[in-house]
Amino acid sequence: MATFELKVIAIDKVFYHGKCQQVIVSTADGSIGIMSHHENSVFALVEGSMRIQMEDGNWIEAVAGIGHVQVAYNRVTILVDFAERPEEIDEHRAKEALERAQEAMRQKQSIQEYHMSQANMARAMARLAVKKHYIKDK
Amino acid sequence: MANTKEIQTRMHSIQDTMKITKAMYMISSSKLKKAKKAMEDSEEHFYAIQGSIARILRHVPDIENPYLGHEKPQEKKRIAYLVVTADKGLAGAYNQNVIKLVQEKLDENPESELFVVGQIGRSYFEKKGYNIHRHFQYTAQNPSIHRARVISEEILVRYNNMEIDEVYIVYTKNINGMESEAQMYKLLPLSRTDFGNNNGIELMVSDTTRYLPTPNDVMNAIVPNYVTGYIYGALVESYACEQNDRMMAMDAATGNATDMLRNLSIEYNRVRQAAITQEITEVIAGAKAQKRKKKANEER
Repeated sequence: MATFELKVIAIDKVFYHGKCQQVIVSTADGSIGIMSHHENSVFALVEGSMRIQMEDGNWIEAVAGIGHVQVAYNRVTILVDFAERPEEIDEHRAKEALERAQEAMRQKQSIQEYHMSQANMARAMARLAVKKHYIKDK
Repeated sequence: MANTKEIQTRMHSIQDTMKITKAMYMISSSKLKKAKKAMEDSEEHFYAIQGSIARILRHVPDIENPYLGHEKPQEKKRIAYLVVTADKGLAGAYNQNVIKLVQEKLDENPESELFVVGQIGRSYFEKKGYNIHRHFQYTAQNPSIHRARVISEEILVRYNNMEIDEVYIVYTKNINGMESEAQMYKLLPLSRTDFGNNNGIELMVSDTTRYLPTPNDVMNAIVPNYVTGYIYGALVESYACEQNDRMMAMDAATGNATDMLRNLSIEYNRVRQAAITQEITEVIAGAKAQKRKKKANEER
């Protein structure tokens, strides 16, 4: 299968850099798969899973935060606020974060606090979903 | 000339201070290693996202988006500065450089709102009576993505509520690993001209680029991420510069203390020698006098 250059950059690290066959990301409207020679575009991403099929056909599962994908002349750059492999996800921590966020959402909050809790919750849920999926696959 | 006791006390006090400066030097150098690593790790995203925003701004069709500027006459615009200083001094001119830069801007616009990270900057502007957000209290130590998220949310909420119309970030930029410089950067609104000659990573996007779901939604999703990324990058870079400056300041202080100790020990030896010489002279003079007295007695 044709391959293309992919670079996934999180705020604190370069998550992936190299050739790949396809990458599937989560947008507000659902998952979008990008293969070689995709038309030039920019997508907004939401927290959720990200799957990369490498040159050898193996898949990398990951969870990614908000950000965007930029497709330009068969080169794809994904800029996200975090990216983690399932084995890096601390399930316990994510669960606690989720509970904290849910607890906070029940309280009376300012809009700003509400946004923060909402974002925390989305991150925790995305992490847990990817982790669960990964454990089931094994 | 001071007596030996005084000089000794002075030397002890310098030695004690030197212990502190030496320890601070060591602490800063170990923190610097960590900070430099964080800075290198964040650099990729920092530049890539600036390049990416620049490309999008250049090619995005004409859209009405709050992030591209509020509709307000220029003189009514409220300006906010996000200022990154350290929590403590003893870092050479690190804090002063940032404060000076902000002060210049405040002289033009005394009504600007200030969001200050770090204790030094906060107490300075508080004392001067500027319009500072009291609840905005964040430390400059060990910058984390979480803190950057909280800070960017605080600012974006105010921006989106039209409470502030322009946001600048003032932080310290590392120039060549050793030198640093205070720098000001316009975070919001994004303007096409500001990104005109940006030398970030090249991401070629043609005019036919499609924005999904809509250009507006894409902007709304990217900009908060961009602001968070920029703030994180600035926090990390400032922190690394702070440690670097502190290390250099402490190194200079230790050097000065060593010089002072050397001079004082020479003086101490000189005074001690003078005292001994005087004592010997006195003893000899006394002995001689006794001798002379004895001789006079015998002759009589």
